[in-house]
Amino acid sequence: MRVFLALVTKELIGFLRSWGLVAVVLYSFTLDIYITGKGIEMQAKNIAIGYVDETGGGMSKKILSRLHAPEFQKPVPFMSTKELSKSIYDREIMVGLIFESDFEKNLEKRDRASVDILLDSIAATQSFQALQYLQNILFDYSKTDFPVELKIHKLFNQNANTSEFMAMAEMLSVITLLGVVLTAVVFVREKENGTWDIMLLMPIDPRLIILAKSFSQVLVIMGGVTIATGIVLFGVFDITINGSIAAFFLLSFFYAFTSAGIGLFVAAVSKNMLQVAQLSILIMMPLIFLSGAWTPIHAMHPLLQDLSLLSPLRYYIEGSESIFFRGTGFFDLWNYFAGVIILGSVLYFYGFRKIGRLF
Amino acid sequence: MADLEVRNVTVVHRKTVAIKNASLGASESEIVGFIGADGAGKSSLMHAIAGVRRFEGEISFDGVVFGSPKEAEKLKPSIGLMPQGIGLVLYKNLTVSEHLSFFSKIRNLKENSTLDAYRHRLLKMAGLERFTERQAGKLSGGMMQKLSLICTLIHRPKLLILDEPTTGVDPLSRRELWEILEEIRENEGTIILMSTAYMQEAEKMDRVYLFDSGSIIASGTADELKKTVKKYVYSPVPCESKRCICTDRYTYSLDSLKAQHKKPTLEALFFVNALRRNVEIPPIKVSIRESTEPIAPVVMEAKGLTKRFGSFVANDHIDMELRSAEILGLLGANGAGKTTFIKMLLGLYPIDEGELTLFGKPIKSAKDRRSLKTRIGYVSQRFSLYKDMTVRENLLYFANMHNIDTQKASRRMERYAHELGFESYMDSFPKELPLGINQRFSIAAALLHEPVVLFLDEPTSGVDAIARSQFWQMLRLLKKRWGIAILITTHYMSEAEYCDRIVLLKEGKKIVDDKVENLHKKHPKAENFEDIFLHYYERNNEF
Repeated sequence: MRVFLALVTKELIGFLRSWGLVAVVLYSFTLDIYITGKGIEMQAKNIAIGYVDETGGGMSKKILSRLHAPEFQKPVPFMSTKELSKSIYDREIMVGLIFESDFEKNLEKRDRASVDILLDSIAATQSFQALQYLQNILFDYSKTDFPVELKIHKLFNQNANTSEFMAMAEMLSVITLLGVVLTAVVFVREKENGTWDIMLLMPIDPRLIILAKSFSQVLVIMGGVTIATGIVLFGVFDITINGSIAAFFLLSFFYAFTSAGIGLFVAAVSKNMLQVAQLSILIMMPLIFLSGAWTPIHAMHPLLQDLSLLSPLRYYIEGSESIFFRGTGFFDLWNYFAGVIILGSVLYFYGFRKIGRLF
Repeated sequence: MADLEVRNVTVVHRKTVAIKNASLGASESEIVGFIGADGAGKSSLMHAIAGVRRFEGEISFDGVVFGSPKEAEKLKPSIGLMPQGIGLVLYKNLTVSEHLSFFSKIRNLKENSTLDAYRHRLLKMAGLERFTERQAGKLSGGMMQKLSLICTLIHRPKLLILDEPTTGVDPLSRRELWEILEEIRENEGTIILMSTAYMQEAEKMDRVYLFDSGSIIASGTADELKKTVKKYVYSPVPCESKRCICTDRYTYSLDSLKAQHKKPTLEALFFVNALRRNVEIPPIKVSIRESTEPIAPVVMEAKGLTKRFGSFVANDHIDMELRSAEILGLLGANGAGKTTFIKMLLGLYPIDEGELTLFGKPIKSAKDRRSLKTRIGYVSQRFSLYKDMTVRENLLYFANMHNIDTQKASRRMERYAHELGFESYMDSFPKELPLGINQRFSIAAALLHEPVVLFLDEPTSGVDAIARSQFWQMLRLLKKRWGIAILITTHYMSEAEYCDRIVLLKEGKKIVDDKVENLHKKHPKAENFEDIFLHYYERNNEF
């Protein structure tokens, strides 16, 4: 036990004294999550809109008056379609409306008229959401005989706010990445500094060394998780947790060991920090993409859906979402815990064996 | 006529003065040497002269005066710089011939028959013509240095600046490097500035500059310099005052002693200089070990130990015995298999063939070793311990690893710190320590658990003369008072004399295993151990 504590203390001292590493960890668990949550905006917001109105007012003004903040900027008038197109080409305007001179006439005469919409669809999600808004507005002015009205109930995330989900997914990805990198670093640093041999010559069971070293980094990760949930998720994004926070931390703890296991594997095959960085990214990317963090699993190719069952991050993300948004009870989380623990044990054991062979 | 004049050059490195007001001169075909401890300012001055570092003062070479790297730009085609560190200018994955053509290209040399002939001559001088297709990463340390040197020579510089080109290189390769230098200065009239840690090399130079803590304190030929300290050098007698240092071969004293005068070596300059500057050199002490466990007379016995890396045989059926109260010196050229052998003994490499017995116990698997690890102390090359922990934290960590009682451990730590003279550095980080202190602290860490055998892999590379003499004093005291066995590898042949027994490896085979005095008896003509080493190494015979 004394040896175990000495090993853990040594790694924690080493971590705290390497300022660069501390800065990276602090940044990843705070600002990085904040930026992802705030920055990746899927909703239409603050869209630049321009129009050409050849009708001389009336109906077109009514429609334009409904385009306002926060979704749209104040519509900008243009003299001709050509000017408007140029502006869209120059990326000053994202959506262009063209009311042709016979718009009003047709509306009155035939009850049918058309509005041309020019759309910069490079930012596909945003522009199509803008289109949807426009359609809804125009829909209000159209007389239809269709008698069905939609009543929508948004569950779990009442404001349909993407930033909460994004921040959360980013935090879980950060845990994965840092878990791997930090664990690999504590071993590879010994290789780089030439202290590896000295470590091997200690009269200690190598298993204890591996366990203590990876445990120390799990502690660092858990510290990061505490900061991230406390300050960023609860503080800045004001997420309400519907389930038990203890369950979340327990799940995170098991998951941290899972990524530490991957870290052990990376450490076993890398000679220096550069290789750790390369290999970690290589392993992490499929893990994160298959987890459903950025793409819903039901939208994936069937083959990828099956593969995603092997990503421990999938269980961790689904479990964490259930805890935060759905408020699932502790005992109903068993399948997520099982997924993380089983895959985690396999990965940790494999990494353990792999690095153990170097001792 | 290319002359070099350095006038009052000061180099400041991040607010610390690396070298202050240095002046020197050199003319065609001269070899000028820089000697002094690590961090004395030799490299900084070399970089300033090479025009790659900012400095104050003035340097003129070949009629051009410059005061900044920018002004030195037009001289670059006639300057060649080889920085410190083995193989630093080489690219691991390029072959020898690719190196030569690469360096010709970046030097913008015209490809013609003259260049071709010159390249061939260089290859031949370096003895690399058989290895043109070999990748640099697969060359031995000595070959790498020779390749670095000929790459630096490819543009026929008129000023060649070499920063410790021979450090960590075996005597044979060192001699070959010198042969290249002699030929170049003879035929090309090149001025050669080089720093060295080997005093025998300094003896061969036209002029030597002695560096100490950022200034040049003496210059002249080796003989002139030795003459200046002659009167302070005596046969070993115990010292009484602070103006006196006693090592095992000499006593240096500023006051006159009744003892007999002895012929000084260049090393004497460092000691006398330290005395003049009132540098406190605490005597090394070693008290007896706390453990009363008796030490077996034969600590290690190896029979036919063999290690292969693919088809390459690093160690070929080596027999060796290590006895208690013995210092065994393991010598050999770079790549002769010294480190591999030590690593095999320690279990860091698996043994491919042969039998190893440690403390009377045959070693078959890693399990056999675990209980023996408490009896082994090891200091690796570069002796770097954990650099983000202070000296005290490092020592405490090792004490914990060996499960030494905390009270006992801290008592031992204090004692070692006092006896080995690093008391005032207990709360510093290893990188803040002078190299010599760092070396003794690393040994203290390896001694904390009172091992019975100590393995030291090149513990003296880069350490200055005084620290080296203190180091050997410590080893001999350990042998005497602890009665432990010490296995040490070194490149300094002068240090071989301090060992009890010498084992010489060549290309993975053991070629000599004898007591030092016996070897001297067998080779009465040899002036020093370097001659004996070369004698065995040059014989391409039955071994």
